[in-house]
Amino acid sequence: MDWLEQELKNGLARKEPPPGFADRVLRRVGHRAQSPVWRHSRWLAAAAAVVMITGGAAWREHQGHVAKEQVMLAFRIAAVKVNQIQAHIQEATR
Amino acid sequence: MTAFRALALVAAAAVLLPAQQLKFNLDYLAAKASDSVDLSLNGATLQFAARFLSSKDADESKVKKMIASLDGIYIRTFEFKDTGGWSPADLEGVRQQLRGAEWSRIVGVKSGQEGENAEIYVRSENKKIDGVAILVSGPKELTIVNIVGPVDLDSLASLGGHLGIPKVEIAKHK
Repeated sequence: MDWLEQELKNGLARKEPPPGFADRVLRRVGHRAQSPVWRHSRWLAAAAAVVMITGGAAWREHQGHVAKEQVMLAFRIAAVKVNQIQAHIQEATR
Repeated sequence: MTAFRALALVAAAAVLLPAQQLKFNLDYLAAKASDSVDLSLNGATLQFAARFLSSKDADESKVKKMIASLDGIYIRTFEFKDTGGWSPADLEGVRQQLRGAEWSRIVGVKSGQEGENAEIYVRSENKKIDGVAILVSGPKELTIVNIVGPVDLDSLASLGGHLGIPKVEIAKHK
């Protein structure tokens, strides 16, 4: 075993955490979860999700109404033309 | 591999292409027109719009029924302030496509007084109508309509008096 191998073995060797380490970590996590910043960012994320969902639905609704108006306009134009042609035919056969 | 890629591209293009049966690229006329309408509604758009058409409203309900079986509606209309806004050559490109065997002209009207021409063509496949083309041209107007799918012209004409369209009443034969 050369010196490098020995160094790595020492460096990566399993070490027990100092006493009270787990308690300190849990305390900090609990503190972070209760902090107003953390609470607000969760509310912000929820609000952003609501805005995105309702905004998407409103946009879809708007697109639907635009499509509907286009369809009605298309039928208006087509029906007017067919009516005009029918009128010409009826006039001609009178 | 190249041939396979080309085939794949053609197949993809065929899927992506709208179901329009007539090609009318008349965008250049829009600049000269005082009014123009360009509507390209493919099957997906029609079915999407159908969800917003009320079944309780008489007009909307009629249109909803009609579009249920349609694959597209493509319309170009131009209105010009003066005569000569469009040339017969503009329409010739469309007419040429309508000379195919699948198309047949069912109506041709020429109004000498107003200088207006109107034609209705139907497209059929396996003895079933699967499209209609309407060409209306006047000195100051040009309209091309392509309805893709089984069209009932009587139902279309019956929309006269509805949708804000005045019904053209002609005295009947005596």
